[in-house]
Amino acid sequence: MNGQNDILEALYRRMILVRFMEETHDRLLKEGKIQLMGHFGTGQEAVAVGVTGPLRQEDILFGTHRGVGEFIGKGMAPKDIWLEYMGKKDSPCHGKGGLHLCDRERNIPGLVATLGSDFSIAVGTALASKMKGTDQVTLYFVGEGTCNQADAHPSMCMAALWKLPIVFSVCTNQFCELSYMCDHYPTGDVAPRAAAYDIPFEIVDGQDIEKTYEATRKAVEHARGGNGPYLVEYKTYRMATHFSGDPGTYVNRDELEEWGRRDPIVLCREMLLERGILSEEEDRKLRDGIQAEVDEAVEAAFAAPDPGIEDLFKDVYSGEGVIQ
Amino acid sequence: MSRTITFSQALNEAMAEEMRRDPGVFVMGEDVRVSAFGQTAGLVDEFGEERVLNTPIAENAITGAAMGAAMSGLRPVLELMFMDFTMLAMDQLCNNLGQWRYITGGQYTIPLTIRTACGAGMRMGYGHSQCLQSQLIQAPGLMIVEPSTPYDAKGLLKAAIRSDDPVIVVESKKLIFGGVEGEVPEEDYTLPFGEAVVRKEGKDVTVAAVGFMTYEALGAAQALAEEGVDVEVIDLRSIVPMDKETLFASVEKTGRLVTVEEGRIRGGIGAEIAALASGEYFSLLKAPVQRVAAPMVPIAGSPALEDLYLPNKDTIVRAVRRTL
Repeated sequence: MNGQNDILEALYRRMILVRFMEETHDRLLKEGKIQLMGHFGTGQEAVAVGVTGPLRQEDILFGTHRGVGEFIGKGMAPKDIWLEYMGKKDSPCHGKGGLHLCDRERNIPGLVATLGSDFSIAVGTALASKMKGTDQVTLYFVGEGTCNQADAHPSMCMAALWKLPIVFSVCTNQFCELSYMCDHYPTGDVAPRAAAYDIPFEIVDGQDIEKTYEATRKAVEHARGGNGPYLVEYKTYRMATHFSGDPGTYVNRDELEEWGRRDPIVLCREMLLERGILSEEEDRKLRDGIQAEVDEAVEAAFAAPDPGIEDLFKDVYSGEGVIQ
Repeated sequence: MSRTITFSQALNEAMAEEMRRDPGVFVMGEDVRVSAFGQTAGLVDEFGEERVLNTPIAENAITGAAMGAAMSGLRPVLELMFMDFTMLAMDQLCNNLGQWRYITGGQYTIPLTIRTACGAGMRMGYGHSQCLQSQLIQAPGLMIVEPSTPYDAKGLLKAAIRSDDPVIVVESKKLIFGGVEGEVPEEDYTLPFGEAVVRKEGKDVTVAAVGFMTYEALGAAQALAEEGVDVEVIDLRSIVPMDKETLFASVEKTGRLVTVEEGRIRGGIGAEIAALASGEYFSLLKAPVQRVAAPMVPIAGSPALEDLYLPNKDTIVRAVRRTL
């Protein structure tokens, strides 16, 4: 990726946007201005942004509850995210989605509530791409906690059996909700499970945006080339607690501090400064601009109308009305 | 021109014709190439393995995969071999399938047809014999139909495949294995959802039956005719949506209502109909609504106990007498 300064700068910009979106969400919650609980991905931005970086608009993304990283990475507009989070009528889901983001234009088919339900749904979109002969890739982004759902196995099995264009991107952030990964796993890694289905896999440093991007680019290329699925596991650390309001009494503070020194945004910033891609002054301006963009999107969403009774019964079926 | 074919042949013709008509239609499920009960037999010879896809034994995951393919614009016809097995897919069926369109604000539709075989009497024991339709009627966004004749089977299945909404087609094993035959036109046709049919007109008591139980109800009507009781038999055909108009018109005439289903009584289809009748036309009723359904016990392996478990002509006769 050397020489691709523009890509690196764009990824850096997206990581900051993700961080600022989530910090703003947290602040609005604490101020009592919004009601939607947040599950933040602080510290994981190089994974969420790195895995979506190599995707094309027509590629299909399934994301997670943890923050907005992969959705911003796939190109969702901050304004649409706030409209959805605030349940407004003009959101992409017309106020129906809430935390469950969906954006058809960017091929984000939705976000499930029961963790891991979409493992197989993602296999289905990849199956359709193969049957239709498109060169779309489905990227299934998932946390290590969810990989213990039973459906992970038949999903990987079907993907390999039918040689589908799908990349399984496992974000191992050391926590499974309110527990440490070691309470859920007898192993340190998730990725070797892929070997059971003859799916090639790789484990990479999730704090380094160049590495997350490059590993995903290779995996996506593999899948797009008709070679079947690929699994990449990214090792990172959830610097936020499970949900806004979770005091994180179970978190080892020394460990948090240690990982904090490898904050992916800080690492990327240092790299950009060192390589002369970005100056201190440009960085300041960039950050101010991004915060202004977030604030503007928040304001616009606050001012937008709520859905009404006419929306309550809409879109249950493709025809008019609802069946009681 | 019409000819006489079996229930299973009607289902097979419906799938074959829709696959010829629309290249986006394909069949998937466990053993669909060989076909355990014969409904999909031979399809692989005409359409090839790609469009007649054998899946691993993993009901929730194959349902998710079919959903993913459907939201990508294909029209899968998924077989969940026994209705008991739909319980393994309840996450997809009740949490996701019927709710996806609404939650995404209509951005994604799921034109998926699920076929599943229900019913006891085959000496298959507790987990291969149940009628679990009432487990599914609580889930919003689904259509649920249950044909009782080859004509209805073909027309409803073709309509299901063309529907933009998810449809569950319930096929009674007694109709599949019993070799029930009937007149079916050679020309293309579909049947609308939500239209019941009056199988026998009568003026004294309305018997509203589901699926195979229609035949037991007709047997009961014949026996009661000898006692001078004129029974009207309605074959519901469609459970969701339900034909409330036909039910109302019949009860308006008879003032007496008996419901008949093979599933268990508690929270069943009959309970729903009884609530509808008491809530909307209580004053028309000359007697309390009677429900004929299976008792709240498992289905035993003993043929003697299985026969005692099942609703039949005699239990319907007794229920009708209670309304007189």
